[in-house]
Amino acid sequence: MAKDDRQSVRQIGGELVIPVLGVLFTIYFFSTIWNSPWTAQVSTFLVGSILLFTCGLFFLRCFMLLRSGEANLGFGTLFTREDLSTGRYGLLATTVGYCVLIETFGFTLTTFAFLFLSMVILSKARRIVFTAMISAIMALGGWAVFIWAFDTRFPRGIFENFMETVLG
Amino acid sequence: MDASTILLEVFLSTISYWYVIIPTIFLGLIVGGVPGFSAANTIIILMPLTLAMDLEMGLVFMVTLYCAARMGAGIPAILVNIPGTAGAAATPLDGYPMSKQGKGQQALAISFVSSSLGGLLTTIVALLTMPILARVGFYMHSVEMIVVMLFGISLIASIAAQDMLKGLIAGFLGLMIGSIGTDVVYATPRGTFGFLELYDGVPLIPALVGLFAVSEAFIIIEKKVIVNKSEDGTTPTANWHDTFEGVRISLKRWWHIMWTSLIGLVIGVIPGAGASIASFVAYQQSRSFSKTPEKYGTGHPEGLIAPEAANNGVTSGTLVPLLVLGIPGGATAAIMLVVMQFHGVSFGPSLFESQPEIGYGMFMAMAVAYLLMVLTILPLSRYMSHVTTIPTIYLAPMIISFTLVGGFVPREYMFDMYLALGFGVLGYIARRTGYHVAAILIGVILGPLLETYFLRALKKSDGDITVLFSSTLGNILWVALAASLILPIVMDMRRKKQGVPAE
Repeated sequence: MAKDDRQSVRQIGGELVIPVLGVLFTIYFFSTIWNSPWTAQVSTFLVGSILLFTCGLFFLRCFMLLRSGEANLGFGTLFTREDLSTGRYGLLATTVGYCVLIETFGFTLTTFAFLFLSMVILSKARRIVFTAMISAIMALGGWAVFIWAFDTRFPRGIFENFMETVLG
Repeated sequence: MDASTILLEVFLSTISYWYVIIPTIFLGLIVGGVPGFSAANTIIILMPLTLAMDLEMGLVFMVTLYCAARMGAGIPAILVNIPGTAGAAATPLDGYPMSKQGKGQQALAISFVSSSLGGLLTTIVALLTMPILARVGFYMHSVEMIVVMLFGISLIASIAAQDMLKGLIAGFLGLMIGSIGTDVVYATPRGTFGFLELYDGVPLIPALVGLFAVSEAFIIIEKKVIVNKSEDGTTPTANWHDTFEGVRISLKRWWHIMWTSLIGLVIGVIPGAGASIASFVAYQQSRSFSKTPEKYGTGHPEGLIAPEAANNGVTSGTLVPLLVLGIPGGATAAIMLVVMQFHGVSFGPSLFESQPEIGYGMFMAMAVAYLLMVLTILPLSRYMSHVTTIPTIYLAPMIISFTLVGGFVPREYMFDMYLALGFGVLGYIARRTGYHVAAILIGVILGPLLETYFLRALKKSDGDITVLFSSTLGNILWVALAASLILPIVMDMRRKKQGVPAE
């Protein structure tokens, strides 16, 4: 019974993240326009004040829920054990790596590495050869369509420069 | 020569370019579907080719690309919750839930038919009412534009219907994010965290990519495929019946397509307004006057028809000020203007007398493109919908890589990729904790526009706030806005009082 009660309690820690971010951002924003001309202030003071007011109401609602025991400050809606088992954290790490490395290594190589690693993590290292093939096809296909055919402004690196030299 | 003879000749001349139109349709679908690409970017890239073509062929190419890109933006919005452009940002609100229910093919058919019919209808209306429409831009000053923006922003309140506080927090956070950048009068930097890259404001594509694509990729990996399994545990499979059903649903709601596309046409005529405003306004109005507003956001066909018909209505609207006044209604129209000027075309009413094949030809190219589009794309909806059955372990990384790079393309700043990632994290937190990413995006898109018009109105009136109620058209729009917000509530109360259940 006690276990059932614990499970039915709403975890509102995660729900507070966006309002807290909203309040912090609004305070920072106000600090940047405090000494600015009225044209820079009028609209944002209006919008920011409403945001602070709605966040205040939300905090009040959360406080009432906490006081009545209907909620706790858990982050169960945001972080779960499944995040580890599904490979979500791994995917986040490879995504950050993708953003960092693409400037140095260019679109094609970094995309291949990102796709391969991410797919390996998400599939728990099953069908590695197939994964490598898909990653290579997608990366080369992207290069062929967007860079070679349409000369789109994708980040360029060793592979793109080499192919440019080869293809003239 | 009478008008009908001219139109017939122009039609025959346009249709003779079928070999340009059909490949361009597929090119447009691709560039429209990948965030960061757009018809305008592609036309710029292919500008040397366009200038080398003869004028008629070049215009047919550009117009077709424009229309197809607009339609293409809705495809990933429906199938994987990633709008290809900001103009399709309202499409996933009901399109994506349909895909998750295994109705992706039906949703695509609805999108294609409503886009084509909306585009076709507004092309004809634009052609017939061009002198009147061309004057709309003159009547729409900052005050009137503020009310038009508020029509779109009021969608936040609708999205917030399930949890009003959370919806408003998301919407106003979006408006605050949209305020980042220098102010429009004195260029004072505001909320930029010291990043020069944010002085021009928050770029839309990274915001779109992050809030929708990146966050969605992190969510979908919980499931094996996007589409939900049916009650018997099987994955719904695509069949032709779904396409026909989608066509039937759309045709049955022809009136809905008609009036929402006309919203797009009128908004498209106003220089500076765009498809994103039109689609949000159309969605909000569609919901306001629906007998079943509670179904919106759950995969309701009318919630898909409204933004798709409206954003395709914008395409013909943008051509009106271009041809009649020489004022482009959007980025793509501006590039068309450059190409036409290169070929020595003079704009104004005389264009339709001196060079009817150009004046009427552009609208005819649009009409023919929409006709051919529905015929060529509709059969493909069955195959496109298979995207929802691709295992997410492969789909999610592909979405992340191609959309993040799409965030880089418009400005070529690495900063924009990090920004897209940051928005992705924000979008992920929002989705996991019950905040609507669409409400944040509406704020980011419409916030800066609203502020610009608001400040312009205040500057003109020396800070007198009553200027907002100083024009007749503005006041009519205020009344219409109030009516569109209050009437649904009154109608709902009356329905409840009479004991009539919602349909």
